[in-house]
Amino acid sequence: MVAEGVSGTLARAVLIGAGQIARQHLGCLESIPGVEIAAVCDLSPSVARAAAERHRAKTWFTDYKLMLAEVRPDVVHVTTPPTSHFRLAMDSLAMDAHVIVEKPATITLAEVEQLLARASDRRRMLLEDYNYLYSAATLEIRRLIESGELGAVVHVDVAICLNILGPEGFADPNSPHPCLTMAGGAIADFLPHLASLAHCFIGPHVRAEAIWRKRSNTILPYDEFRAMVDGERATASLSFSSAAQPDAFWLRVYGERVLASANLFEKRFTTERLRPGPKPLQPLRNGLEEGRAIRNAAVGTLWRKFRGGPGSYDGLYELLRRTYRALGTTEAMPVSAQQVLEVNRLVDALKPVRQA
Amino acid sequence: MKILVTGANGFLGRHVVSAALARGLEVRILVRPAAALERLPWAGSVDVFRADLRSASNLAQAFDGVDVLVHLAAAVSGGEDAQFAATVVGTERLLDAMSRTPCRRVVLASSFSVYDWSAIRGTLTEDSPLESPPDLYRRDGYSIAKSWQERVTREYAAKFGWALTVLRPGFIWGRDHAYLAALGQQVGPVHFVIGPMTHIPMTHVENCADLFVVAAMDPRAEGQTFNVVDGPGERIWSFLGNYITGMRERGWRIPVPYTLAYGLVKLGYETVFRRNDKLPQILIPMRFESRLKPLKYTYERANRVLGWTPPLSFEQTLDRTFGPTTV
Repeated sequence: MVAEGVSGTLARAVLIGAGQIARQHLGCLESIPGVEIAAVCDLSPSVARAAAERHRAKTWFTDYKLMLAEVRPDVVHVTTPPTSHFRLAMDSLAMDAHVIVEKPATITLAEVEQLLARASDRRRMLLEDYNYLYSAATLEIRRLIESGELGAVVHVDVAICLNILGPEGFADPNSPHPCLTMAGGAIADFLPHLASLAHCFIGPHVRAEAIWRKRSNTILPYDEFRAMVDGERATASLSFSSAAQPDAFWLRVYGERVLASANLFEKRFTTERLRPGPKPLQPLRNGLEEGRAIRNAAVGTLWRKFRGGPGSYDGLYELLRRTYRALGTTEAMPVSAQQVLEVNRLVDALKPVRQA
Repeated sequence: MKILVTGANGFLGRHVVSAALARGLEVRILVRPAAALERLPWAGSVDVFRADLRSASNLAQAFDGVDVLVHLAAAVSGGEDAQFAATVVGTERLLDAMSRTPCRRVVLASSFSVYDWSAIRGTLTEDSPLESPPDLYRRDGYSIAKSWQERVTREYAAKFGWALTVLRPGFIWGRDHAYLAALGQQVGPVHFVIGPMTHIPMTHVENCADLFVVAAMDPRAEGQTFNVVDGPGERIWSFLGNYITGMRERGWRIPVPYTLAYGLVKLGYETVFRRNDKLPQILIPMRFESRLKPLKYTYERANRVLGWTPPLSFEQTLDRTFGPTTV
């Protein structure tokens, strides 16, 4: 797989923002043949230099406009805090680069619409990172649907349990996280994951109702979220909990014949299904199979940690591989502009009316 | 003389402030906005400047009237990127602010973790090789951040003509901080002592703090780098015995030859684990060496240049660490 065709030879990628998530992008880019990390940019010279040194980028910058002008990249990865995404993505599109923007793509729906319009005008791609759509378990569920095994999707439940209340990160009282300025605060950073998975299985939303709560004594405006979504093809329940433990990212797809469950933070993937034979034996057969799958997944998750690799970012690696392959061919993008628009419409519908 | 101490409410910082006040220095501390200072014995004797190095825009004001910056602030926990942001970006922003002030003197707390432990044989000195890319990025987040912090500080000092002193402490220990990473691997009450006869590069926190204050006050320290240890170091086996006795714990020590343990770690890393750097620290050869490699240590340079010797003997430091609490 070689990402040729973007500029005739190599895809020249740059990153704006060289923090935590950027390292995952850079690690992936290093593994894609034909992609050159042409430069990285960060407001901190040390962060930019360290990222360039570590991932063998050609050069580094602290001024993204200078980088765009000097490097003229084919693809820009925007991996800064979300409040800066809109401006950086607009300027990158203006320089005729394709843009891969971390989620959430922007702060408002209007900004996403402007970005998509600019991308369309420039005949460039704007892709928001919906990496969990390309996790191994999600791809397997999609295969079950496409093959007809699962039957029609009736309902989807997506639930993130993640303790974000610690003094470091989102709830750091010393240096407020940029995400806290968004409607919904830190949870808004996770809405695109929830919304993109729901959209994938139930289609565009028709209506959505959300509940936002705050139960901890932290600087977070909200730390609990629940929602019900009515989609064109099925329904979905979405949730984020800072209090429920242990940390997990549950995806459950209820089909007419199969219930598929996955913890996207790990390798756990199980199914319960209608089986031929005596009905009283079905729970036993499902239980035995589920037990075997859970045991194998537990061992596999530990082994994955020992063997290295992207871990729970496997979906990002797959998404970026497909994106660069599509850039060099006539293949469809793994995330379409219409998908970005519809997911962001759902995200917008889920946001709290008033900030706490 | 007025000094500005960052990280003043940390383990080392608390003692540096005490030592500085004891020597009659005027002290301003720079601590994070939410830092709790009420229980610190010197809280009423210092000038407090609250700011977060990662984001504050008024850092230059912290240098008003300051002669020497004693920069101790660094993250000792959290993810690799969080440590880099707190330690390196924080330093970069602090020194940027300092460059707009008349202050021209810096004492930096670096670390033994900046050395290239795989390359060093015999005695580790200030001239021993430092870890460098690309191997640096196979080290833990703390080592990467401390290496970059020293690198950035040296660059600022060179650019602005500042007088810089770099102090590289070994394992800093003391009350509530006596279980050192060098002691091996603990599984319940059992301690697997890897290389039981190996000396530990250790410095009691009060001795270490004393050298920081001496270095800040003595012009002979300008432009120098000093390793900070209290001597050749106790052997792991005996110090672990001190620890178990001092903490009144029940524990059993099982000796494991260093060469055998290192050989197994190296073999596993190269074959089964395919050079995966996300393994537990002790299973990565470079990090294993930085914690456990048998080397010799000395404070010869600090003694030769500054006439410094640790003020507390090992017996006194044991008493300070495991004996009755004194105010």
